[in-house]
Amino acid sequence: MNARRWAPRQYLPTIGLTAVLAFLVLVPLGFLLVSSLRPGGMPWSPGFTLANYMAVYADPALPRMIKNTLIFVAGSVALGLLFGGTLAWLVERTDMPARRLVRALVILPMATPPLLLAIAWIMLLSPRTGFFNEVLQKALGLSGPVFDIYSMAGMIFVEAVAVVPTTFLILAPAFRNMDPALEEAAAASGAGPARILWKVFLPLMAPALISAAVFISVAGFVVFDIPGTIGMPVRIFVLSSQIYYWGNDTPSGLPLYGQISALAAVFLVVLLALGLLYQRATRRMTRFAVIGGKGYRPRPFRLGRWRIAALAFAGLYFALAVLAPLAVLLWTSLMPYLTGFSTEAMKLATLANHAAVFENRRIGTAALNTLIVAACAATAVTALAALISWVVVRSRAAGRRLVDLLAFVPISIPGIIIGVALIYVYLTLSFLPVYGTIWILVVAYATVYLSYGTRSLNAVLIQLHAELEEAGAASGAAWWRVFRRITLALALPGLVAVWIWVAAHAGRELSSALILQGRDNVVLSTLLWDFWSAGQPNRAAAVGVWLIVALGVMVGAWQMLQRRER
Amino acid sequence: MLEIDGISVEYRADAGPVRAVDGVSVAVAKGEFFTLLGPSGCGKTTTLRSVAGFETPIAGRIAIAGRVVYSAERRIAVPVHKRDIAMVFQSYAIWPHMSVAENVAFPLAAAGVRGQEARGRVARALELVGLGALIDRPATQLSGGQQQRVALARAIAKDASLLLLDEPLSNLDAQLREQMRGELAALRARLGATTLYVTHDQEEALSLSDRVALMRDGRVVECGTPQDLYYRPKRLFTAQFIGRAEIVPCTVARRDGRTTLLETPLGPIASACGAAGAAGAASLMIRPEHLTIVPAGSGAPNTLPGTVASAVFLGRLFEYEIDIGGRRLKLQTLSAQPHAPGARVAVHAPPERCVLIDETTERH
Ligand SMILES: Nc1ncnc2c1ncn2[C@@H]1O[C@H](COP(=O)(O)OP(=O)(O)OP(=O)(O)O)[C@@H](O)[C@H]1O
Ligand SMILES: [Mg+2]
Repeated sequence: MNARRWAPRQYLPTIGLTAVLAFLVLVPLGFLLVSSLRPGGMPWSPGFTLANYMAVYADPALPRMIKNTLIFVAGSVALGLLFGGTLAWLVERTDMPARRLVRALVILPMATPPLLLAIAWIMLLSPRTGFFNEVLQKALGLSGPVFDIYSMAGMIFVEAVAVVPTTFLILAPAFRNMDPALEEAAAASGAGPARILWKVFLPLMAPALISAAVFISVAGFVVFDIPGTIGMPVRIFVLSSQIYYWGNDTPSGLPLYGQISALAAVFLVVLLALGLLYQRATRRMTRFAVIGGKGYRPRPFRLGRWRIAALAFAGLYFALAVLAPLAVLLWTSLMPYLTGFSTEAMKLATLANHAAVFENRRIGTAALNTLIVAACAATAVTALAALISWVVVRSRAAGRRLVDLLAFVPISIPGIIIGVALIYVYLTLSFLPVYGTIWILVVAYATVYLSYGTRSLNAVLIQLHAELEEAGAASGAAWWRVFRRITLALALPGLVAVWIWVAAHAGRELSSALILQGRDNVVLSTLLWDFWSAGQPNRAAAVGVWLIVALGVMVGAWQMLQRRER
Repeated sequence: MLEIDGISVEYRADAGPVRAVDGVSVAVAKGEFFTLLGPSGCGKTTTLRSVAGFETPIAGRIAIAGRVVYSAERRIAVPVHKRDIAMVFQSYAIWPHMSVAENVAFPLAAAGVRGQEARGRVARALELVGLGALIDRPATQLSGGQQQRVALARAIAKDASLLLLDEPLSNLDAQLREQMRGELAALRARLGATTLYVTHDQEEALSLSDRVALMRDGRVVECGTPQDLYYRPKRLFTAQFIGRAEIVPCTVARRDGRTTLLETPLGPIASACGAAGAAGAASLMIRPEHLTIVPAGSGAPNTLPGTVASAVFLGRLFEYEIDIGGRRLKLQTLSAQPHAPGARVAVHAPPERCVLIDETTERH
């Protein structure tokens, strides 16, 4: 609706949204940059120096950290794509048995926070007490453990398992929507299945595969839970854990904020570049999805004898991602101390840890805080994202590209860095009394998840034919009535899905919560971390089990809504 | 009723602005059914959307029912929902989350009409399009033709001065399209609403419209009644876009009352139609279906001797190519009396169907 061309009112939506986004995204990054140039490491400390950069980039340990980070990211991309891509292909393009069931269950692991996944796999594969290691050692009569989770390989393995659901969600629609005529034409030209896979299917899927790969890399750069639990104890540092370490565990006991900022500033450039690459890749993909959105049923690839193997592969994934971790957490939560599975140990079983979940004041407060933070962050993200997406997709307001870009940037800012930056912002703007409260967490989560919200709602709005809204205006309805009665009503399932997704992720987010932890804003994820690092694994397991149950319900509801959308 | 006065519309594209509509002027009288016709991409939709208010021109003026809704000079741009229009969209744009009745009631609710009166008007509008029985259906359970009717009912219910339709039949299959075309004609006879209609299908345009504006490259090439454009085109583009046309270069020899004598490669031909003021080089337009085959050597005026070069049997019709002095002329006749290739015949071109056009090549 260009009718507002003459009125300055036309620029209000973009100006308003740009202001909000600038405050959420640019201001923290600006404070970060300023702090990196301050001798005291805080934005208001006097002076100007490059010493922080010298300290970080002249440090002989830096190349090791960078190398670790790159290996971790590359490894999780390779393994995650292999697992997620194969699963998506099996589900969407073959005659594997139980495809529908696998498709329904594949996102279940999303309910397991990476922190708990890491903890569970430490319990399973730690060299001294790991359950699997004990079993294998006995069975094979070996003197030492078979696996050591405290290694780069262990970190990559757990991270790959954690990113499979998202990888699947990116790849499956592209695989499903590909026009089967393209493959059939190749078959009719005399190409065999393998040739079709290599020469037609994979090249056509390149945009989807690239965007999945970039997404996993960004996730690998920003994740803290897994490197923090598995890598830090054996001093394998990657970017996120290095920052956490400088913020908490320095020899002097004082956070090295200046160095943190100097390190973050340079990495952010790399991450933002990756983020933009992801945006470009997915933009090509949506165009593709629109073309292919017809109601045909692709002819499945016949697996023949391999059908059972395919199903076993899917089963193996669920065992690794859900069953084994959940079993070991459940077992541990019933034990008074960390012990392997045995019939004697069963006599020790107790519900004390679970009782504590419901009686302990601190756990109760954390649960309540988590609920409030998750609900507020989800509501804020949904409302803001709905406005942003409408302006970006539908309006012709000047500057809407900038709004889109600003809303996308947070995808590549690690939670740890957002945490540090928000400390600077709210300690400086002390008239806003949010530092150390749960509200600073709401701000952090809303920022981190905004890009997800706008991405999904953009997709929802693009699928809504613009003429549906134009028909509303042509019927004589003013903008607000059209937005309310038509746009929002039609986008409702999409909005609810975003709300649930953000709430579920806010319920498990660890990295920024740890950095921003004060006395009054403990949440379940930070409490879990405290229990775990304070050597109370059984209590951590009990809290974890209940957290997984709650998140599982939410993820299930989200999945049902997504399904209805199609 | 509707005045479009020299509007131009530009789209911003990556390679710079694209001028989609370039100085279009059209005046539609009250109760008239006016059609914008033209090849794909000529700017019909853009013109219609400017009238609705979805696009804002960069120049010109638009007035609906005496009210200026857009004026570049006076910096007026009335928003869509305040314009006295109703619109049927190419995709129908039936809201899937509402029932048929809710869809049709939406414009009434926006205008503050509620309760008993709204229900009555919804029922009447649906009755008019023959969907009275489906009033409580969810909108998702409608066939293409039914959706089309709901869209029409929704537009009718608003009771606006001007009805805008953008290729409303193009998403229907051929059979349904023909049926809906008939119903549209009946409906417009009953409603008598002023209508601006957009299509690239000339049959639709010719059969439905009072007047047609033929567009190309963002401009109106020619505007007139369907019969004007078919029988008496003033432009070569019109002659060739509407129906089929044989174009023969010619020079004007002399005028003789209402007829003009032309020198053509086919021989001398008398034309009693078209550009009276033409002199020197011009073009002669004859439609293949207006030529007849007469016995050779009849000697009547405008009778040209030739041989049948090819004959294609089309069932009801025969299509011939006749070689006249080394130049081939297409000709269609009913198939009652076939002529074999090689046969010597004479072709008669009635002078009132020989249209003189004052152009030698298509002008832009
Ligand atoms: N949103 C847009 N951005 C850029 N150019 C556009 C846009 N919409 C239309 N155009 C261009 O403007 C010109 C006129 O488009 P318009 O849609 O009015 O054509 P049309 O006559 O309705 O064609 P059709 O019969 O194919 O619907 C075309 O050249 C088209 O490419
Ligand atoms: Mg069009």
